[in-house]
Amino acid sequence: MAVPSHALAARASLRRASSVASLAGAGVVWVVLLGPVIALLSHLSPAAVVRSLGAPGALGPLAVSLEASALSLAVLVVVATPLAYLLAHGRLPGVRWWEAGLLVSLLMPPLVIGLLLVFMVGPATPIGGLLGGLHLSATNTFLALVVAEVYEAAPYYVLGAEAAFASVDRHLEEQAGLLGDPPRRVMRRVTLPLAAPGLATALATGWARAIGAFGAVIIIAYHPYGLPMQIWTTLDETGLASALPFALVLLVVALPLPLLAYGWSARARARH
Amino acid sequence: MLALDIEVHRRDLTVAVAFDVGPGERFALFGPSGAGKTTILECVAGLVEPRRGSVGLAGRQLWSSEGARVPYWERKVALVRQDPALFPHLSVRQNLFYAGDRVEPATVDRLVSALELGRLLDVASARLSGGQARRVALARALATSYRAVLLDEPYTGLDASLRRAVTSLVIEEVTGRGAPAVLVSHELAETQAFADRLGVIDGGRLLQVGTPREVVLRPACRRVAELVGYRSFVACAGGELGVHPERVMAGAVPGAGVVLSGVVLAGRPSGVGFEVDLEVGAAVVTCRLDRDPAPAGTAMEVTALDPPAFGPDGVLVDPGRLVLR
Repeated sequence: MAVPSHALAARASLRRASSVASLAGAGVVWVVLLGPVIALLSHLSPAAVVRSLGAPGALGPLAVSLEASALSLAVLVVVATPLAYLLAHGRLPGVRWWEAGLLVSLLMPPLVIGLLLVFMVGPATPIGGLLGGLHLSATNTFLALVVAEVYEAAPYYVLGAEAAFASVDRHLEEQAGLLGDPPRRVMRRVTLPLAAPGLATALATGWARAIGAFGAVIIIAYHPYGLPMQIWTTLDETGLASALPFALVLLVVALPLPLLAYGWSARARARH
Repeated sequence: MLALDIEVHRRDLTVAVAFDVGPGERFALFGPSGAGKTTILECVAGLVEPRRGSVGLAGRQLWSSEGARVPYWERKVALVRQDPALFPHLSVRQNLFYAGDRVEPATVDRLVSALELGRLLDVASARLSGGQARRVALARALATSYRAVLLDEPYTGLDASLRRAVTSLVIEEVTGRGAPAVLVSHELAETQAFADRLGVIDGGRLLQVGTPREVVLRPACRRVAELVGYRSFVACAGGELGVHPERVMAGAVPGAGVVLSGVVLAGRPSGVGFEVDLEVGAAVVTCRLDRDPAPAGTAMEVTALDPPAFGPDGVLVDPGRLVLR
């Protein structure tokens, strides 16, 4: 039976209204979430940025943050990726306990993580003593900064990577094996390419958490200064205006990787 | 030769079967859903581990209770599953050549032509329809150097002419290579068209193995008869006769089988003929006839051609032992 024209017109109007409402909603979300960034940019002048960043040693924290975060990311990729794979394939006994442990560390306030790390790797602990024997320390050192960043970023990366591996259809991996590929080759030719979009997102999230780590860092790795510590101490000692340029730098180095990863991941998913 | 003697425990069923398939022989497993057919193929392929028994192929133990363990990526078994499992990040061509040096390009060309895949080679496999994906999956499996071919419901999503083409193609390929082939289906006609021998499986057990004709004309028990299409069972002294709708002729021809007298309950068109429900004693006998049925309530005689007879325990018996009531 043909739909009356007035009903068609009503449906078209409803669709238009829904589109407008959806766009308006997205706009509100953008304003709310990006409002602070907009405020940051509106309070900065190019001259102020050049002045702050041109001071001697001003870019030292940037180098520390980039090095520490890159190293943290490398540790996550090497150590946490296999863990995520084993969890996704149910190869570890007590998978739910592993996931619960990761969730607990994800939900713990970063300051609490920092305090607990002191009790775990501080100079008065067995691990701290062991490190001391090797002329290393996990408090107020570059090593401590990496440890803090890994602890803050690890649950995000592991859980994201686990989801990425779990999203690969097991039948596809079995099929690759049936066609003659042993497990390592299946991983390289099937699992990793198909998990790549999810892994990219997990890596980007891990990067953002690592480079922006502060709660655990302020407890266990006050020195050397990374960008978050630089922002905090500048804010405390000199004021907001001096701290804003470093906040901008942190945004500039922290955001591109996640944005690129998200864009690439979305295109890759659309292709598959 | 494929030699199988296994017991596999699933959550809902224990599958315990034993059969051999010779080089170049085509064996079909026919049975209802959930009977254990796919489980058997997965055991041969190495995706599921039996509880006990042995799996042997080409003179080599692939798995045994004594400790033989060949992983599935080393078994060289071409398994075509119900899920085509094409790699979505690869094109059709890349899927076909996935097995690398185990793939013979000339074989790929032949399969591409036979399965009408020529214009799909550079298409992303994620964009294929279900039927196209199945054809690619079949070509991908048959293009490799395999020692056995296992086909799990390979005709799903294919039209009648492609089903015939697939059957001919697989027969030609396995015969040419002398590899044993096992096909699993819940459609009797397809298993009959494919197989040299047919195994009827139900509840995880092989009820009968024989030629396709044997299994249908002489089902080993009532359950096999039900599975291969016998829809009516007429009680006799000492047991019952199984009546297949397509093994009935109109009229009384005592020399051709058992004459059944009854009353027409209903008739309806069926294909190029008619299907008639006839009340014979306490049973309702369904017959396929090529003539218009008489109106309901009319007395009618039909002859069941050489019907199988089953004793009280449901097992096939000599029909001479039974007396129609």
